[in-house]
Amino acid sequence: MTTDRQQPPAKIEIRGLNFYYNGVQALKDISLDIIDRRVTSLIGPSGCGKSTLLRVLNRIYDLYPGQRAEGQVIIDDRNILDRQKDLAFLRAKVGMVFQRPTPFPMSIYKNIAFPLRLYQKLPGEELDMLVVNALKRAALWAEVKDKLRQSGLDLSGGQQQRLCIARAIAIRPEILLLDEPASALDPISTSQIEELVRELREDFCVVIVTHNLQQAARIGDYTGFMYLGEVIEFAATDAIFINPQDKRTQDYVTGRFG
Amino acid sequence: MNPDPGLMLRRRIINRLMTGLFLLATTIAVAALAIILWKLVLAGVAALSPTIFVKGTPAPGSKGGLINAILGSAAMTLIAIVVATPIAVLAGTYLAEYGRGSRLAHIVRFLNDTLLSAPSIIIGLFIYGVIVIPAGHFSGWAGSASLALIAVPVIVRTTEDMMRLIPDSLREAAIALGCPYWRMVVSIGWRAAKSGILTGILLAVARISGETAPLLFTSLNNQFVTTDMNAPMASLPVVIFQFAMSPYRDWQTLAWAGALLITLGVLLLNVVARTIASKGSSR
Repeated sequence: MTTDRQQPPAKIEIRGLNFYYNGVQALKDISLDIIDRRVTSLIGPSGCGKSTLLRVLNRIYDLYPGQRAEGQVIIDDRNILDRQKDLAFLRAKVGMVFQRPTPFPMSIYKNIAFPLRLYQKLPGEELDMLVVNALKRAALWAEVKDKLRQSGLDLSGGQQQRLCIARAIAIRPEILLLDEPASALDPISTSQIEELVRELREDFCVVIVTHNLQQAARIGDYTGFMYLGEVIEFAATDAIFINPQDKRTQDYVTGRFG
Repeated sequence: MNPDPGLMLRRRIINRLMTGLFLLATTIAVAALAIILWKLVLAGVAALSPTIFVKGTPAPGSKGGLINAILGSAAMTLIAIVVATPIAVLAGTYLAEYGRGSRLAHIVRFLNDTLLSAPSIIIGLFIYGVIVIPAGHFSGWAGSASLALIAVPVIVRTTEDMMRLIPDSLREAAIALGCPYWRMVVSIGWRAAKSGILTGILLAVARISGETAPLLFTSLNNQFVTTDMNAPMASLPVVIFQFAMSPYRDWQTLAWAGALLITLGVLLLNVVARTIASKGSSR
């Protein structure tokens, strides 16, 4: 989508990453750099490992005993795969939004206040301000400012997803992981989310998994094509879509399989 | 393709026939229930009077009410639920959240299901053995204990089922924010499953408020209103059991009144439970 005049540094350096579900290898020797303040899209057919790769980056896979990652994922000079006492530090830095909107069963206000309260004891006014800022940043404020006390579950699907983005960015992470954030939404909501993602790249390192090729082409600065657990090709989005180097990438982006 | 008229006719006839059979089966089932309720309401309403809520169970031949049994049932049910709920909700939460795929959880779940379908008279005998005999007397506490033991597996099961309905993505969403697991369970999980868990508790109340067998061995009966949980205690089911079997007409009448009261109470609880459940699921 853009060519970088001054390329910011890599925010995430992945080196020799392997991933296993109950011993079955799902990611094979993945190495790539994800650049800060850019949108990196991961594309590929179902089951290629793109969501798995995303789920390594905040170690959400740790919830499930049979899942294991090997290798290096370096964020701010630390291998996040190392044993650590408290994954909350990592997750405060790496936010995530899921395929289906996941509003908590509480008011819109509390949905945003919930993560803030996890990290700091804030006086009421300051909390209010942070909640409002997050909602504004996620382009939801205008629609919900009169109903902050209403349940987050009463919002439309697209609004719920923006609520989830607001919730994720409220604690000011540095990296934002989006796992097919628009695939359960209608076209209008989808374009709102896409627009939002493009804006968010100013402040965050965004990694988005999508199976919508047009979406990757529209919003990704960089695109990685994955196939059978491997990153086949990783480059600036234009290069992937206009001039792919690998035959498989070419077949996929031209719709010949997938 | 041209349908074969003969085949079409046969299908229509079979369709009619089957619909008729289903209707018949439904009618039989509903009719049986309707007859029971009709008889109950007819005899029960005739037996109801303000005295029932004022006086205790009488000696044969004299006038009386059911207040000792009503209060006894209420006290024992209340204590049983207050004791059973926290234990059962925590156990159900363990099964759904922490014990996934673990061997211990597997065993606990199996034992819980066994307890769930255990005849209540066995629960009564068990409490008789471990509380009544060592204490040397029947008591309200023993009655509460046996009712609690019946309520626990019901609530464990519904809690686990309701917590399992929570999509994993909701758990992951909380964990991805850096939320500790226990806090996710308490703030998100229980909140999401709230109406379902509450429904389970109400259904457990409905279940134990009609239990007779376990109380026969534990709280037995008491002719008087008592607040002493250490003393034997009257309850509606036991009074109904005794009075309905008795040869005295006025006792039998009181039994009808008691039966109607329990049925109405259970009906009310079911309606409340359903309302809560449907409100919960519409969200």
